Amino acid sequence: MDTRKKEITTLVVCGLLAGAVAVVLAIGGNPKNMAICVACFIRDIAGGLGLHSAAKVQYIRPEIIGIVVGALIMAIVGKEYKATAGSSPLTRFFLGFMMVIGALVFLGCPLRMVLRMAAGDLNAWIGLVGFAAGIVTGVFFLKKGFSLGRAVKVGKAEGIILPVVLVVVLVLSLTTALFKASTEGPGSMHAVVLVSTLGGLVFGAVAQKSRMCFAGGLRDTFLVRDFSGLITIGLLFGIVLVYNLVTGGFKLSMADQPIAHSQALWNILGLYVVGFAAVLLGGCPLRQLALAGSGSGDSAVTFLGMLVGAACAHNFNLASSTDGATMGGQIVTIVCIVALFAIAAVNLKKRNA
Amino acid sequence: MRSRKIKLVVSFYTTADAFAFEAACKQVGVSGRLGTVPRQMSAGCGMAWYAEPESRDRIVAMCTEQHLEYEDMAEIER
Repeated sequence: MDTRKKEITTLVVCGLLAGAVAVVLAIGGNPKNMAICVACFIRDIAGGLGLHSAAKVQYIRPEIIGIVVGALIMAIVGKEYKATAGSSPLTRFFLGFMMVIGALVFLGCPLRMVLRMAAGDLNAWIGLVGFAAGIVTGVFFLKKGFSLGRAVKVGKAEGIILPVVLVVVLVLSLTTALFKASTEGPGSMHAVVLVSTLGGLVFGAVAQKSRMCFAGGLRDTFLVRDFSGLITIGLLFGIVLVYNLVTGGFKLSMADQPIAHSQALWNILGLYVVGFAAVLLGGCPLRQLALAGSGSGDSAVTFLGMLVGAACAHNFNLASSTDGATMGGQIVTIVCIVALFAIAAVNLKKRNA
Repeated sequence: MRSRKIKLVVSFYTTADAFAFEAACKQVGVSGRLGTVPRQMSAGCGMAWYAEPESRDRIVAMCTEQHLEYEDMAEIER
């Protein structure tokens, strides 16, 4: 088999596995149309750690920890583990912060956007317009010379810190009462820990192996007409769509979708922030987790930015509810868009050629 | 079915380096195209330059003259 065929086969297998994990987690009890939403689950972890006090969204989600550790294992097995850091860490922290704010205004990361699209949620299809527009804006700045600078090799242990800390948090959450856990609302809905952890591990391994990235797939389509990044996403969408059709979970509408709102403008602008920030960061929230597991200290810092951003989103009432975007959320979304343009503009590098 | 050929693939540390490289290639007339970096070359998701293997010497000379950075250069079947 030639290398290109091998790559495509790998992407197809990874897409099928990712779809299967999403379905298993949905059957297992995770919130409807959420299954394995990175932004929502980081928000739940922030709540579990007591970083915010929204009682309905607090739970140490094993899926997130599993994704990082699964990516680490796959990176080590594939001899691709490389500890690096030093590419504008503070800028990445705030890009991660803004990316999760945008996601929580929309009510989901790009992964959940796809899961919602596969359930017939037209708000997610509308949000896709904003996500794509954010990516196009990011690509414009990439072509103009945007760069956060080069990451350099660091000691191997540097890349292990985040996975180890997350595993310790998971173990503590299972063996002590240190952390908070919702008794009602989305945070109380979850698959059993073993299923969640295994699902996360498989998803992380698949994400690392396939370089699955919701922003990267579209970015490469716009930049170099390479559609291969859309294979895994397309299969994930297809499998969840079939599951929803078979189980009666598919409902084509804007109104009354689970954990969603139907304010088109804020769905678009929320995901615009996510798409734009993701291109500047070099990957969507899921990709940041996979990169953090593969040894990227910069992505680990981005994760911390997302964690703090998720906490702030609930502490300051920025996250949307099923009623729609809050006033604070609307203001901060606009502030994020202005900040993203500023970050993109000040990081344009002069070309040698 | 499209036949597979050996390509010289140049990978970069940053996307900005890839676009600077593309601009330089256009300036000095090195043919090729930008694409995603092949899986067997890097776990990253950046850009790579695909050129004919016989361009290697010209590319190395161009990078030296114009102080262009690249991460890796390898011949890969595409």
